[in-house]
Amino acid sequence: MHAFLDKNRTQAAPVSVDFPLISNQETWMNIALIKQYHENMPKDESQQFVFTCLRRLGIEHVAFKRIVALSEEEAFCVMLLRAAMIQKAIIVIDRPFIIIPHLKDVCFIFQMLEKINDLYYSCHVYDYKWMADKYGDLCQ
Amino acid sequence: MSFKCIIFNTCVKYNDSSLFVNDNVADTADRGLQFPDLCYKHLTSFVFSHNTIKKYWLLMASLESIGRFILQITASLRDTIYFALLVITRIFQLSSYNSATRTVLVNQIYFTSVQIIPAFLTASIIFGSLFIGIVFHALKGLGLSDYLGNVLMGLIVTEISPLFTVLLLTLRSASAINAEIAVMKVNNELHSLEAFRIDVINYLLLPRIINGMVSMVLLYSLFSIVLLISGIVFSGVIFGMSMDAYTNILLNSANFYDIVLTLVKCALFGFFITLIPIRFGLRTSDELTSIPVAVSSGMVNVFAAIIIIEVLLLITKII
Repeated sequence: MHAFLDKNRTQAAPVSVDFPLISNQETWMNIALIKQYHENMPKDESQQFVFTCLRRLGIEHVAFKRIVALSEEEAFCVMLLRAAMIQKAIIVIDRPFIIIPHLKDVCFIFQMLEKINDLYYSCHVYDYKWMADKYGDLCQ
Repeated sequence: MSFKCIIFNTCVKYNDSSLFVNDNVADTADRGLQFPDLCYKHLTSFVFSHNTIKKYWLLMASLESIGRFILQITASLRDTIYFALLVITRIFQLSSYNSATRTVLVNQIYFTSVQIIPAFLTASIIFGSLFIGIVFHALKGLGLSDYLGNVLMGLIVTEISPLFTVLLLTLRSASAINAEIAVMKVNNELHSLEAFRIDVINYLLLPRIINGMVSMVLLYSLFSIVLLISGIVFSGVIFGMSMDAYTNILLNSANFYDIVLTLVKCALFGFFITLIPIRFGLRTSDELTSIPVAVSSGMVNVFAAIIIIEVLLLITKII
């Protein structure tokens, strides 16, 4: 995965426990940071954009929460949105069942990806072989 | 000639003299030392009097610790200067600034300069008024009423105010910055920023350092204003001086060079009381237990930096 990230350095957008959210910032700021930093998008505009994205995933209520106050699903969605903020993002989801351990299968993750499919270029999921049954037909 | 000295862990009697032995191996030729009272016990070991070796090891230990301390200080100073130059270069690069940096800068100024105002004002009024009262009372007692302006501007406004402000700011903000950066390092959050191609210096460090400089100058100004206002009250009570007379004394005693030097001093204080905690925060290892170590070392170094800056500027002033 790290080799893939290095190869696609400008577009690679990791979603992983190894790349946590910034704990001293509110949720919306974690996501808006990418747009503000790379595209110099003004604060108000980036805030509006992030709110729209959060609404699409049905978690706009977490916008002003700190990271520690989020559930595992919410934290995953915020990480996913942060990754999707990269232009033509190649989202790399690293071991999603470590981020949300109680998930039975990958449906939730694909549902979330489906809701924001216009925000990224492609998505790659990396996981252990013994987790293959959680991915169903995708791993055939 | 190179030779080895093997010393054992026990004390033995040899030729009626007390012998001290240890199991260390010391290359005496490499250390360029000569051993008095040295005599061969057998081919690879030497025996010499207890007092001589005790003196030698004490001397060596103290020399080694002094050398180690100087090396550490030199390395730390070199790293700090290198880091400071890097940050100064970035401060003057327009490409360092973007919407994210500005947002952090505004937030930091709010946390450091605005949130602190009630506590800072209270402390300034209590400490400032008492201090001004005591100084004015002492001046009157010593019959030095003519030097009121010089003491007020030359000592209180240009020396005491910056020191008081920097101590308050260090206690409140520098320690917080140190802990914040250390926690981010331990939590791998800096690694996250790098993964998203966000420059840590531009995004995290630069706004905090600029904020340190701005806040220090602003809070110093506020503290000085409080002191001067207290001065109006106390000059009236103690010397029976009118407000116009007090203002005239202040204006006559004000030295433009001193004020500029004080503002530069405040900016320098602000720069180093944020730079040093950040540097120590970044040096934290991956363990949670390294956070308090980083914070305490950072704070000790900040206080050392405050003293060094104060002394250097006092020397500049004297020259």
